[in-house]
Amino acid sequence: MIKAKNIYLSYDKDKFIIKKCSLEIKDKEFIFIGGNSGSGKSTFIKSLYGEIPLKYGELTIDGYSMKNILSSNLKKIRRNIGIIFQDYKLINEWTVEENIMLPLKINGYSNYVSKKQALNLLSHVKLIHHKESKPNQLSGGEQQRVAVARALAHNPKLIIADEPTGNLDDYSSEVVWNLLKGANEQLGITIVVVTHRVPKNFGINFRQLCIEDSMIYEVS
Amino acid sequence: MKSLKSILSFVIPLTFMLMTFFLFSFTIKVVNDYKQNIENDYSIIIVAKSPILKDSINHMIDIKIKYLKLLPQKEILSNIKDSISRESIKMLQQKLPYFYELNLQRYPTISELNNIKNKILTLKNIKKIEIFSKNHNKIFLLLTILEKVMYIIFITVLIYSIIIISQQIQIWFYENSKKLSIMNFHGASIIYSSYSVIMYGFIASLVSFLIISALVITFEYNLLLIFPVELQSIIKVEFSLKYEIIKLAFLSFFISFITIFGVLLKYKLKND
Repeated sequence: MIKAKNIYLSYDKDKFIIKKCSLEIKDKEFIFIGGNSGSGKSTFIKSLYGEIPLKYGELTIDGYSMKNILSSNLKKIRRNIGIIFQDYKLINEWTVEENIMLPLKINGYSNYVSKKQALNLLSHVKLIHHKESKPNQLSGGEQQRVAVARALAHNPKLIIADEPTGNLDDYSSEVVWNLLKGANEQLGITIVVVTHRVPKNFGINFRQLCIEDSMIYEVS
Repeated sequence: MKSLKSILSFVIPLTFMLMTFFLFSFTIKVVNDYKQNIENDYSIIIVAKSPILKDSINHMIDIKIKYLKLLPQKEILSNIKDSISRESIKMLQQKLPYFYELNLQRYPTISELNNIKNKILTLKNIKKIEIFSKNHNKIFLLLTILEKVMYIIFITVLIYSIIIISQQIQIWFYENSKKLSIMNFHGASIIYSSYSVIMYGFIASLVSFLIISALVITFEYNLLLIFPVELQSIIKVEFSLKYEIIKLAFLSFFISFITIFGVLLKYKLKND
């Protein structure tokens, strides 16, 4: 699913956040990426969906090389990825249901199918009673559950999550982890999660990586 | 309230531009009708010693020739045959010069006519040129000035409107930037992401078109009140309502969408 060979990432010319890193993430894997604040965890996952361009090296996502990637190919990759942001990135002018329908509509599903899938996911995340609410009327935990539902809506090949439980209480965190575990186990979706703390007794197989001194290490 | 204000920021310059376009188009039509009316109110007769060709004159003068017609000698002689003898007619037939009627592609001003006369007279085989014309010069010049002024005003308003409209579209993009970036992260096409901006543009164009249509219909119904009846004897003050409304609809949507897609292209180049 993801292959990186000697990649360099940076926001400006002089300072590299990630230096000469190589790694491979196989299909259906569950990956946790840890590391201190400012170590480059978010930078690394941003490069996976093309928000940060690759400086040097080779990075392949689902068979597409991210080096000088065409805008049309980047859109294709993004349509097959579900992204969960720490700040949720929900559209406040739309209802919760419409937010979940977004990736389905972008992928060309009909309004009927999109709505049905959105309602199904809203039941899963226990927010069906909020389907007509606007995201800014929900609590942080509820908004993150909507964001998870949106990431799962179009059954993507890969889910990238940046601190998905960073701002959540224990109950909401557990709901989010259960949803991601279910997506990995039952739907076979590859999941890459950046987090400060890996949940205890996670219950499924996972691999843990750590970013330190601009390098990515495997945690044994 | 906020969205009404932002739609109005698009509607006002667009409506103003459409109004200017309508007045420009109306002026052009009135001037052209007048030009057609006076087109045949002048005559240039050339008297030449030998036959002349249209091309030999065409390159000398500023206005293109519509036709150069040789006037048949028989007609000239038939007018005088009763007053002179047969022998004299025979002699006259041999010595009679060639008479041509010259008609131009557009109505010339008096100075242009004099200029044409002087230039043609420089040809060796030309004996004389006679110009017969009714004096439309003042009205014609006034209408020509009006036409040119309307053209300048229209172009100025068009440029100014496009600048204001494109700025409003940029404001819409800015207001929707968070939504656009979220859609972009999900792989939405630029057209899909900008759907709400395109819809704003469509609604604003429709509102502008409806306003201008109402104004044009009112104008058409009150033409006789706006312009004095005496004017009708000089120029034809009329226009086809259906045709003008179709033109305004086309222009309203065309200008809006061209501007939206221009800004969209700029946004795409900046963000892709």
